[in-house]
Amino acid sequence: MAEPSPRGPAPPLNPLAAEALGGRLPPLVVAAERVAATVMQGVHGRRRAGQGDAFWQFRPYLAGDAVGRIDWRQSAKSDRLFVRETEWEAAQSVALWRDAAPGMAWRGGRDRPEKRERAELLLLALASLLLRGGERVRLLGARRAFAGRGALASVADALSRHAPPAADEALPRHARAVLFGDFLAPLEEIRAAVAALAGRGVRGHLLQVLDPAEETLPYAGRVRFEGMAATETPLLLPRVEGVRALYAERLAAHRAGLAAIAGAAGWSFATHRTDTPPEAALLALWQALAPG
Amino acid sequence: MLSLGPIGFVAPWLLLALPALPLIWWLLRVTPPAPRRQAFPALRLLRDLPAPEETPARTPWWLLLLRLAAAALIVLGLSRPVWGPGAAAQGDGPLLLVVDDGWPSAADWPARAAAAQAALEAAAREGRRAALLTTAPAENGEALRATALMPAEALRARLAALRPKPWAPDRAAALAALQAWVSQNPGGFASLYLADGVEHQAQGDGFTPLAETLTAAGPLTLARAEGRATRLLLPPRAEPDRLHLALRQAPAAMAGEVAVLARTGDGRALARATIPVAAGGEAGEAALDLPIEIRNQITRLEIEGEETAGAAVLLDERFRRRPVGLVGPVEQGASTPLIGPLYYLERALEPYAELRQGGVAPLLSRQLAVMVLADRPLPEGAERAALARWVEEGGTLIRFAGPRLAEAPDPLLPVRLRAGERQLGGALSWEQPQGLAPFADSSPFAGLPTPAEVAISTQVLAEPGPQLSDRTWARLADGTPLVTAEARGAGRIVLFHVTANAEWSNLPLSGLFIDMLRRVVALSSGVAGAEGSQPLAPLETMDGFGRLGPAPGGAGAIPANRFAETAPGPRHPPGWYGVPGEGGERRALNLSASLPAPRALAAPPPGTAFQAIGGVPAERDLGPWLLAAALLLLAADLLLSLVQRGLIGRAARLAALPLLVALASTPAWAQDMPLATRIGYVASEDAGLDETVRQGLVGLSDYVNRRTAAALGEPVAVRPGQDDLSTLPLLYWVITAETPTPAGAAAGALNDFMRQGGIILIDTRGEGSGEGFAPGAAAALQRVTRPLAIPPLAPVSPEHVLTRSFYLLPPELPGRFAGGQVWVSRQEDRANDSVSPVIIGGHDWAGAWAVDARGNNPYAVIPGGARQRTLAYRFGVNLVMYALTGNYKGDQVHVPAILERLGN
Repeated sequence: MAEPSPRGPAPPLNPLAAEALGGRLPPLVVAAERVAATVMQGVHGRRRAGQGDAFWQFRPYLAGDAVGRIDWRQSAKSDRLFVRETEWEAAQSVALWRDAAPGMAWRGGRDRPEKRERAELLLLALASLLLRGGERVRLLGARRAFAGRGALASVADALSRHAPPAADEALPRHARAVLFGDFLAPLEEIRAAVAALAGRGVRGHLLQVLDPAEETLPYAGRVRFEGMAATETPLLLPRVEGVRALYAERLAAHRAGLAAIAGAAGWSFATHRTDTPPEAALLALWQALAPG
Repeated sequence: MLSLGPIGFVAPWLLLALPALPLIWWLLRVTPPAPRRQAFPALRLLRDLPAPEETPARTPWWLLLLRLAAAALIVLGLSRPVWGPGAAAQGDGPLLLVVDDGWPSAADWPARAAAAQAALEAAAREGRRAALLTTAPAENGEALRATALMPAEALRARLAALRPKPWAPDRAAALAALQAWVSQNPGGFASLYLADGVEHQAQGDGFTPLAETLTAAGPLTLARAEGRATRLLLPPRAEPDRLHLALRQAPAAMAGEVAVLARTGDGRALARATIPVAAGGEAGEAALDLPIEIRNQITRLEIEGEETAGAAVLLDERFRRRPVGLVGPVEQGASTPLIGPLYYLERALEPYAELRQGGVAPLLSRQLAVMVLADRPLPEGAERAALARWVEEGGTLIRFAGPRLAEAPDPLLPVRLRAGERQLGGALSWEQPQGLAPFADSSPFAGLPTPAEVAISTQVLAEPGPQLSDRTWARLADGTPLVTAEARGAGRIVLFHVTANAEWSNLPLSGLFIDMLRRVVALSSGVAGAEGSQPLAPLETMDGFGRLGPAPGGAGAIPANRFAETAPGPRHPPGWYGVPGEGGERRALNLSASLPAPRALAAPPPGTAFQAIGGVPAERDLGPWLLAAALLLLAADLLLSLVQRGLIGRAARLAALPLLVALASTPAWAQDMPLATRIGYVASEDAGLDETVRQGLVGLSDYVNRRTAAALGEPVAVRPGQDDLSTLPLLYWVITAETPTPAGAAAGALNDFMRQGGIILIDTRGEGSGEGFAPGAAAALQRVTRPLAIPPLAPVSPEHVLTRSFYLLPPELPGRFAGGQVWVSRQEDRANDSVSPVIIGGHDWAGAWAVDARGNNPYAVIPGGARQRTLAYRFGVNLVMYALTGNYKGDQVHVPAILERLGN
């Protein structure tokens, strides 16, 4: 059932910490012009008769309707029989994903968390807000969606065991997606992944989680840089301080490319550094997803 | 040997390597340090950057200094420096070492060995030959013999192998060995005598002739430990409520206190007692006052801080809990809880005594302190004769009255009994059940409180007689005897005039009963019974330090009847003896039991030089310390290089790898939130069907999580008989024509599941509107459920708990299909709190509940409508609530509230 994560067991996730982080924000009801077609009950009225709690309409009794469904109080007001229908209220599906590549399991200093840890914390906090808002949360690539306030522990559990790529054939149309990662892969790969989702009517948000050391390149002297995956060949730089400015330029260009990809798909893009508090990033996400 | 102040070098030519240090300096300067290694995820962005100019990096000066210091230390260490080379022994010519290696030497053995080694070392430097003579008999029982003269270095190994023996030195034998040696090695020699400072024989300890013989042959140096008293801990005297400790020592000038530790069999210290010893005193005594259940755990007493065989005493059964035999009225009778004749006796005696059960004859074949007969008459015969003999020899017989004894009294009773029993209270009697009178001062029970709630309703009566009053230990409030006793020979017979269970009185229910039995058992004279001549093999023996270990090969068994007079020696080292194997009896052989009190050594002959053992620092080889320091510096250098190269984090991660592998290999089921409540389903051979059921249960779990306070985890597929069903409250089982009939283990697992409160929902997926969807399922249902313990069934009634455990539902309980009949167990079945262990229907509920990965219901409900699906989900919620809360909602308490809601 669980795909083994590439670097052994992931660090233990703490849903309580995520819940505490999200506790200062109100429940998040996602802005939805079009709600993904699911049977899950929620707060988004579908303007159709169906499962739900809110009254929708009285319609005349037709042959074949169960007698038990006749609303006798309404029917008594006239000569005709009426059946009471409720509005179909559905929940929006929000697909969450965090990059589980080996590069995410890294931190540049002891005083800050790993990028993956921060990404998972933000993901869970957002999931907690969504679940409290009555929305449906799924993990890209996981087999089922989660709903209900008690489901956060299940989300955390599933998250610790899933490390799929950012694609999901089973994602319903018009769902929302939020992707967390460092997005340091080549721009073409990211563009392909975003386009595949956007082509299915999914609107989304990219959050780039970077360690400050990846922005500033604070090393000096003769350093042999090694990639996080075993396949990458190491790179020996005799004087790192000499290339710092060039590196910053490249990173800025890469970010601009990411923003362009997101803009082209109608998505939004934001960055987050692991040495800044997660509350700020969570608030930005809340504002990006909430209506108005 | 080169000497520089207090330091001498044994191999000074190695110091010539010191001038090579500048060469190392130069070599280290020219090699550049390795680059620092750094993991970096954004490596891709760093590639192909134009390289700036390369400047060579140098090894930092402090690292150079560190490495040079390490090299210098290695050179110095290899040249073997010695701090304070020791002075040579007296005189010249060969050196004879005489070593007392009996038990008193063990207390400061390391200092003694060091003193002897130092003397040998000095002799070796001067090129003198040496010989060794020990004074304690050897383990293998051979006669004492001095070694031949040999180079001092060769003797060092032999000296290092020498260990103190757990018995006393035999100086007379040593004198004979010395004389034999002198006759073989004529000519003068110097001698060093490491004496333990104690005379071991009450008369004629051979120290004086030994010392005179040595003085005659050359200068004698006597090495003694000053100011240390040799102490002997005697076996304690066991008294009913305490252990009486006693100590003997050679007189010491200072008054002091000696601490004695009481240890359990596994080495824990349970208690500590201090024995005061007056100045110049030879003996000290103290009492160790402990509750008996604590005292029973003590197997060893030892003087704190003194590791000798004479300072340790092993305690065997004679000091410990008394063996008590229990015999019921019928020999095979089981001890029925609460009403059995022996039940209260077992509970009362177990903490304080070692209980044995069985017939009279088998019990008497072992040593026994107390025998308890509960309402067991003793007819004329061999059994009664054996018991009478055992009591004469010192056994304590406790008897309890009862209907059988009342019918047939026998002579083994303290008083003559009237036939029949006396009823106090009851329908045809004016009398009331009697309480207890306070215990007389002469009674062994004196001082015990008499609880007011103890009431005796039936008892046996003693014939009045002149001695009845003397033999009575306890009375009822009206003066009739309750406990009588009589001494017979060395033993005693005690009769409780009531039964040992709560039938005749509530005495066994009170705490007084325990106290009374304890007093009687404490009165018993310990272990009584005959000892045969069977051999007791050595199980564990002590070494000279008082530590227990496996018995050496030379140790022999001791016949049981000669154990008391056996003195420890090379043939029988002190320690545990007994029958090997679990539960065998063990006896302790203690060194101190057979030794006289230690006395101070007589004055040595004039002209003897004295030397103190301990206190003088021995000469010290500095080489190993310098090499160790060099190694430490090199290790620090390694660490620093790793840190410089950024490898240290990676190394730590590598070290953690085995741990992670161990974690990852624990089963997935165990990692997988084992505490979550889950719904289970029986896995079939059909993967598509299993997926449908899984989707259905996922949908239901989500619905339940959303609508109720229950939190359900991911549903789990199980195979009855292979998987553990005990954590599941509810099992969903789809039966099709292909479902195999559960065989032995599977049927047993399902029956266990139902019996222990689990609920199985059996679904044939083809009833009502679904007629014909599942051909053959109805027949399969009969076939499959045949081996299961299905209770009698009835249709779900409108009042059934299932229809109102969360939502109020009509009894049709539709699923994907509607219109069929759902069956549960009949209400009158009171087992399991009327919760039906099985629910049988054919509405394909899983199909109605199913939610696919996209969040849609993949199966249409028939005949249809959102209402039917809602009802299906609500039935699911009710079902889960029924499984989790049982008949809680069926409680009549809720009926008014439900009626009120129905009325609206």
